[in-house]
Amino acid sequence: MKLYQDYKDHADFLTIYIREAHPTDEWRMKSNEKDKDDVCYVQPKTLEQRVAIANDFTKRFKYGLPFGVDEMSNAANDAYAAWPERLYIIDENGRITYKGGNGPFKYDPKEVRAWLAQKFGEVKHEDNTKTAMVRPEAMETVSKTP
Amino acid sequence: MLKWMAIGLGVLVVAVYVALSIMAGGPKDALQMVRFALPHMHRGNLHVGDHAPDVTLVSLDGGSFQLRDHLQGKPLVLVFGSFT
Repeated sequence: MKLYQDYKDHADFLTIYIREAHPTDEWRMKSNEKDKDDVCYVQPKTLEQRVAIANDFTKRFKYGLPFGVDEMSNAANDAYAAWPERLYIIDENGRITYKGGNGPFKYDPKEVRAWLAQKFGEVKHEDNTKTAMVRPEAMETVSKTP
Repeated sequence: MLKWMAIGLGVLVVAVYVALSIMAGGPKDALQMVRFALPHMHRGNLHVGDHAPDVTLVSLDGGSFQLRDHLQGKPLVLVFGSFT
């Protein structure tokens, strides 16, 4: 959300909600249980169920980013190999200019921040958050972008 | 010879299971990870420089739109994920 607030005047953001990573009827996580984070959902079998969970998410976290839900064919998930989580940046010409690693271990919003900082300038915060370096193989350099 | 190959294979299987257990957070999670997660995790065919595929998405009020509708002359950051 901080990233969105910092760069929303320079870049557009779109969250795409895909199939659940840890539903209760598949690989459930102890940390999701009711007495902890209370994120207990079965894998949606209908679009309505998936949209309902997505709505729960946006309401619970007051999530203000533009939002779209993947259809039950999982077309977006399959096209972008997104599961369980991934980040991309698409440039002004509709080409992929950054492809992040698969979550959870390689999912790194700092890389997106570094790309945006390289293009639009760094946004400093009071805690002096430093911009991370981006893995060279994950992106084109800004100088190569037409 | 075959005996040693079998032992070696057994050791390898145990080592892989231990590694998966560490990654997944426990032995039971390792089995669940193999069953439910690994089939869905892949690199995909997209590379930097490729055209971003257009897909149909559903808005929170149930309507539909195209991803390309959000390409409006600025870079577009896509954030894929789910609640769980």
